[in-house]
Amino acid sequence: MNTNPKHEPPTSDEMLAYVRGELSADDEARFRDRLIPYPELVRTLTASFPTEGAEPGDDDYLSEEEFARHWAAMQRRMARGVVVPFWPSVAAIAATLALVFGALYWRAHTEQRLPRVLTVDGQTLFPDGNSRGGANDAATVTPHGDWYSLVPVLMDERPFDNYRVELFDARVNPQRSLWSVSGLRRSENATLIVAVPRSFLTPGIYRLAIYGTKGAREKHVNNYTVRVAR
Amino acid sequence: MTKDDRFQSLYQKYYLRIVRYFVRSFHLSEDDARDLAQDAFIRFYKAMGEYRGEAEWAFFETIARNVAYNRIRSQNAAKRRVKLVNIEDPATRVPGAPEPDFAKQQEDAIRWRQLDDAIAELPVGQRQCIQMQLNGFKYREIAKFLGISEDAVKSRRRDALKHLREKLGADVLPEDDE
Repeated sequence: MNTNPKHEPPTSDEMLAYVRGELSADDEARFRDRLIPYPELVRTLTASFPTEGAEPGDDDYLSEEEFARHWAAMQRRMARGVVVPFWPSVAAIAATLALVFGALYWRAHTEQRLPRVLTVDGQTLFPDGNSRGGANDAATVTPHGDWYSLVPVLMDERPFDNYRVELFDARVNPQRSLWSVSGLRRSENATLIVAVPRSFLTPGIYRLAIYGTKGAREKHVNNYTVRVAR
Repeated sequence: MTKDDRFQSLYQKYYLRIVRYFVRSFHLSEDDARDLAQDAFIRFYKAMGEYRGEAEWAFFETIARNVAYNRIRSQNAAKRRVKLVNIEDPATRVPGAPEPDFAKQQEDAIRWRQLDDAIAELPVGQRQCIQMQLNGFKYREIAKFLGISEDAVKSRRRDALKHLREKLGADVLPEDDE
């Protein structure tokens, strides 16, 4: 049945977002529909997971010696380090560099114009669904020189250690991720500063998604729909 | 109890059960399953400081399922990259094997195509239930995945079969329930 599915299966990131309940109801439905042609992947979500562990004396309880052996093997694996995929790394580095140079350029530009007061001359964005923003009322952004300087206002219950920003092309369905940058810090006035190269955004509608990270956990915080005019 | 103590305790209790889970649920080899289980535990160890109690185990479950998902997804992608062999090519025939019944094969292929097309035209909920059932899922699993009751699955399946029989004929799919 359905031996030749039309679509690629969801990525593991999408699978994680689904499991963590981070998708909207519509996106969840789309996720399921894309996954159903791949029964072996569906089973990774439906198969019963062990809930009870073995107790000492059970056949499948690892002895101290066995654990010591496994632990040594795991430490060797951990010491080998994480093999980082090449292209995602390049993309992450490029995005980070863009952010750093954007911030440097921006600071230099601002300091030049306002030598005594350091201000962020970016475009303030309010989250979708807020009275001052929203998907039906996408904020039109305009570049400053070669950069779009975006200042999304965070509306989260509790601040996170860091934030990750991901930019999606909202013109296609499902939305396509264009780039992502992580490790951003929240400012004292609850904003982030995001510099996007002008050449990166052609006219259209984009969605800026912000995720808060704390340790290994990541939680979706806000969406900001923006329009790049011709 | 320190992080390392908690980790050791969980590992000793669950490692072999997780290996069995990977073998049984995803038909992985024992070696693959052991490798995957260790991979899941390493990821868990690196991030476990954030979780406690039941949340900790739920977190491990997410990691283990995700690790399996990644492995199976990449195995599938590798299979798709493998060159396909045309089974009707005489060069691939096993000597002494009976002549294939091409007419029957053709007929079956046409029926499957018609069934595929008819299923694609069903309402989404019915289509999902029928697709999953044809892929070997039980009512309980379909209900869990779609977030609906088993009765709803049965009802959607019934409606789908009715549509398909109207379109393709009475013998299109089996009558029997699970």
